[in-house]
Amino acid sequence: MRKNYAILIVLSVIFILPLLITITNSFMSEAEIWLNYTTKLSTFDLVGGITQKFVKFVLIPASVTLSQYIAVLFEQPTFIVLLMNSIKITLPVVLGNTAVSLLCAYAFTIWKWKHKEKFFFVYIIVMLMPLQAVLVPNYIIADWMNIKTSYLAIILPGIFSPFGVFLLRQSMKAIPKEYFEAAKIDGASDWYIFLHIVLPQMKSGIAALSMLVFIEYWNLVEQVIVFIKDYYKEPLSVFLSRIADGQIGLIFAASCVFMFLPLWFLAMGQRNLEKGIELSGVK
Amino acid sequence: MKKVKDQAIWFILPSAIGFIIFFIFPFIISLGYAFLDKPVGGQFVWFQNFIGLFQNSSYQKALRNTAIFMGLCVPLNILCSLGISMVIKNVKRYKQLFTLVFLIPLVIPSGSMVFFWKMMFANDGFINGIIVNLGGSAIHWLETGWALFVIVLIFIWKNLGYNIVLLIAGISSIPKDYYEAASMDGASKWQSFKFITLPYLVPTFVLTTLMSVINSFKVFKEIYLITGDYPHESIYMLQHFMNNMFSSLNYQKLTTATTVLVIGITLITMGLFKIERRVAE
Repeated sequence: MRKNYAILIVLSVIFILPLLITITNSFMSEAEIWLNYTTKLSTFDLVGGITQKFVKFVLIPASVTLSQYIAVLFEQPTFIVLLMNSIKITLPVVLGNTAVSLLCAYAFTIWKWKHKEKFFFVYIIVMLMPLQAVLVPNYIIADWMNIKTSYLAIILPGIFSPFGVFLLRQSMKAIPKEYFEAAKIDGASDWYIFLHIVLPQMKSGIAALSMLVFIEYWNLVEQVIVFIKDYYKEPLSVFLSRIADGQIGLIFAASCVFMFLPLWFLAMGQRNLEKGIELSGVK
Repeated sequence: MKKVKDQAIWFILPSAIGFIIFFIFPFIISLGYAFLDKPVGGQFVWFQNFIGLFQNSSYQKALRNTAIFMGLCVPLNILCSLGISMVIKNVKRYKQLFTLVFLIPLVIPSGSMVFFWKMMFANDGFINGIIVNLGGSAIHWLETGWALFVIVLIFIWKNLGYNIVLLIAGISSIPKDYYEAASMDGASKWQSFKFITLPYLVPTFVLTTLMSVINSFKVFKEIYLITGDYPHESIYMLQHFMNNMFSSLNYQKLTTATTVLVIGITLITMGLFKIERRVAE
């Protein structure tokens, strides 16, 4: 029993260390960052007989300061612009996909068309395709609609992505059929049933879906490379690697600001994320 | 009693229209391009594009690397996550907390960790510092075949949590009586793992394999952000090939590669489901 805890604690420390170093180092002064993370030799080093320097990871900064955060949030207008870009792409996808998928999942639940399972199967097949297989069709349609360099090229396919329909239909299966039938017999319309019976019971399903979609679009990379040609229109997910090449004095704070939302969502709704993962399994 | 009409069609319409416009329709167009010799006014050339694609050395490399990467990651990911899930299942307290730890890498955007990984594996990075201080010689992690190893490591770090959640759910669904009956019959822990846990987890393994295969394409994010447009050739993946074709707008190569990928994933999915059905019987 003791041994199990020991294994888990050691593994947890290893897993959490990259995150921990990123967080603690975001409170480090710029001078200390340069000292630890640049490896160019100075004349001072050469005199001291040092011929090679390596990166040092320091868990606790020598002096704690908020200067990185102040620089990132108040002195770097580009950072805020790029953060807004991430929001401009992610928010419409999360809201749109959840709304469209909710309606569709409900339709699949109550629909009596005999070919509906076949139609649903098409959704599943497309859902299983990795991004690499979907990008070219996305590009073709964006080209036809002339939205190739706009966020719409990323947002629209995101809204209609079949994953949400699948996840919410899975989640809706938990609502007993009798609820619908009873309401139908009482003369309730489908809209009424959807709004007053289904929606209130779908809270955790909706939370799970929006979390998974949020995580995916907050971490957008492939679509950006294909569609966005202008640096200042890039979301932060891609631009962070450019900051990492240049302004290392504020990279840790920039990284922390960017991962704050997903981490906060995880802390608020760990159970929802787990539920989302469990439901997303095709069975 | 009032007669209520079936209104399902109105609920499905927004999704169905968008789904057809943004996925099904361009998929069909893409499939069409794969059989033409040029995008505008092209002629039907049967499988010429496919033959050309498979003879392309960059594509061969990308396909091989993607296959090698999956061959390493998918089993490794399942083995590690199975081990950890069994341990988490066996502790009495803090189960949620330990699961949380493994879920954290999954939600952190790849971009936020780029600088850390670069500093870890750079030529004058943290790991080489340790190696040199111990008297070894530095390894060029990202510029040699070691790059594949580094990427596998980062992938496992990021994706273990996903499988752990699925496996813990799978393990929890096995009825407790089975283990009690087995231990009454004098079965050892290893025996009950081998004869109860493993067979019952087969559907979960099929699921985790499928999801790991699909998720393993996402490793491009890390590779691109850490190593840029020109990674070491051992981590040149399918998406790198596609990006090159996008920048030269080679519709034939793009659509043919897409078609091959769609067929490939469909075959893998069908194969896995067939395995599951056979085991279920």
